Amino acid sequence: MSVAVHEVPRDRYRLRHAVASEVAKLLTLPSTAIILGVTVVAALLVTGLATHNAAYHGGLGFDATQMALTGMIAAGLTGGVFGALLITAEYSSGTIRATLAATPRRPLLLAAKIGVTAAATVVFCELLSLACFFLGEGILSGRGIPAASLASPGSLRAVLMTGVFIALLALMAFGLGLICRSTAGAIASFAGVVFVLPLVMHAIAEADVRYLPTNILTNSVMATADQGRGPFSPVSPTIGLLLMAGYAAVALAAGAVLFAKRDA
Amino acid sequence: MRATVWAEPPGPGNRAQVGLSPPLAWGGPEREDATWPPSARHRARPSLRGVITAHSLTKRYGDTTAVDSLTFEVLPGVVTGFLGPNGSGKSTTMRMIMGLDVPDSGSALIGGRPYGDLAWPLREVGGLLDAKAFHPARSARNHLRWLALSNDIPLRRVDEVLDQVGLSSVAGRRAGKFSLGMSQRLGIAATLLGDPAVLLFDEPVNGLDPEGIRWVRHFLRGLAAEGRTVFVSSHLISEMSLTADRLVVIGRGRLIAETTVHDFVTRSGGGAVKLVTPDVAAFAAALRASGAAVRLGDDGALTVEGLAAPQVGDIAARDGLRVHELVPIVASLEDAFMALTQDEVEFRPSTVAGAAAAGEEE
Repeated sequence: MSVAVHEVPRDRYRLRHAVASEVAKLLTLPSTAIILGVTVVAALLVTGLATHNAAYHGGLGFDATQMALTGMIAAGLTGGVFGALLITAEYSSGTIRATLAATPRRPLLLAAKIGVTAAATVVFCELLSLACFFLGEGILSGRGIPAASLASPGSLRAVLMTGVFIALLALMAFGLGLICRSTAGAIASFAGVVFVLPLVMHAIAEADVRYLPTNILTNSVMATADQGRGPFSPVSPTIGLLLMAGYAAVALAAGAVLFAKRDA
Repeated sequence: MRATVWAEPPGPGNRAQVGLSPPLAWGGPEREDATWPPSARHRARPSLRGVITAHSLTKRYGDTTAVDSLTFEVLPGVVTGFLGPNGSGKSTTMRMIMGLDVPDSGSALIGGRPYGDLAWPLREVGGLLDAKAFHPARSARNHLRWLALSNDIPLRRVDEVLDQVGLSSVAGRRAGKFSLGMSQRLGIAATLLGDPAVLLFDEPVNGLDPEGIRWVRHFLRGLAAEGRTVFVSSHLISEMSLTADRLVVIGRGRLIAETTVHDFVTRSGGGAVKLVTPDVAAFAAALRASGAAVRLGDDGALTVEGLAAPQVGDIAARDGLRVHELVPIVASLEDAFMALTQDEVEFRPSTVAGAAAAGEEE
């Protein structure tokens, strides 16, 4: 036992070690599979119900792509919970101290955590977005209603951007989790930004509601039709996605600054 | 009072190192021998290898100073006990050593470097600060796996350390279902994963049953016997007297003593001798004549202060007095600790009370 069991490498631990560790953590938590499973079921269910309902009512005058992607709004909620839990579960269980003892360089650790969270959520959300699209369009065309395909104008863009958008929501929630350090606080503030803020903004500054995540998702990113350029019109998909990236970046940056200097 | 602190060999093959501990000054260590400790593992290494050094370490929470200009050194090859009452700043100090908390001033270094600068933290330092620092839904094996990956430790080490702490049979079970004792073992397994030269344990026997306590004690002494630095905090004085060779004693975040267990006890008012004799009156008179203070206990035994056992024996031989029992009394670590920390604990209340009493008298 006194003999060193292995040679200590000359260099030091790097980002790839932290990434390998975070991937292992992500894959060994039952809650990962549970949340992602719930997300798949919720998204497909909402898409199914929305397109079914639209078809039932005649199916005229709506954006078929946007309708099929409705399920991704539900994915936005569970995706936010997923993102927040990736960091708050470490605080609630005390694992964060073991994590920091193993990887004390906090910027490197955070880069690994954010990178793994981003990669996992982008891949997952893109696949889910495609699944929602095909399910929704399948239901619509099954009812003889003009459906969209990936070749339709704006559809591929909407599907791909929606996936990225939900991943950004999850990253924003991760940032909020980093700030709050508690699951309850992170999810409450996430729900506040995504669901309550639009209501408040609608009352006090109606024109600015279009800059909020929920409205960007439904009216800018998921939609394919050109919605005009008036004072109340949605922002363009690209501007919308950039805004969402900005929100996620602000939450992550604020969380990172606190993470770097706070005691664990 | 215990008859002697080292009534039995405290650990396997470790007795010799206790005797080799260099004499230490009351306020700080004075290394006589640069090659000490005599461990092959560290003999040829730079002197700072495996040494934990705290220098003027200070941590404040608002108005409270949790750790107050703490300076001490923890050396390889022995178990160093970190002793202090609850809330005296032990855990805060350990968190600062592990880089989890940032000191307001001063430094805590391991081998001359702050924890954050270690090249392979888990291969250099193993820390058990919190028995439950794992996700309850993850299995013991999976918990150790991500730790191993973070420091590029071969994954076969996971099963090796699980075996070492006796958790192999439950390695696949959710760690959240573990008893406190099993959690402590998992925490200890995590510290051993990278085979580090420095180990820190914060209250490792808290909540353990006697068998678990015994296991931890032997384990810690075994690690030290291999030449590792073992720094273990406790508020359980009796446990430290069995486990530790050296002591860092703090109260209210301040250093009270940094010494060996032996010195700590003997300097804290030990040195009395218990004497059982049928010739009580004659013996007491002879002892008093030699300048000793003698008390007759309820059990009929004499407690002699001011003379050592050999001198008492010499007096018996000289005067032809009968001796049935002659036992040197070493103060227990607990007595020594209470004597030293009494001032720390009672300083303010007694001062206030004294001032009030003085005021009434005037």
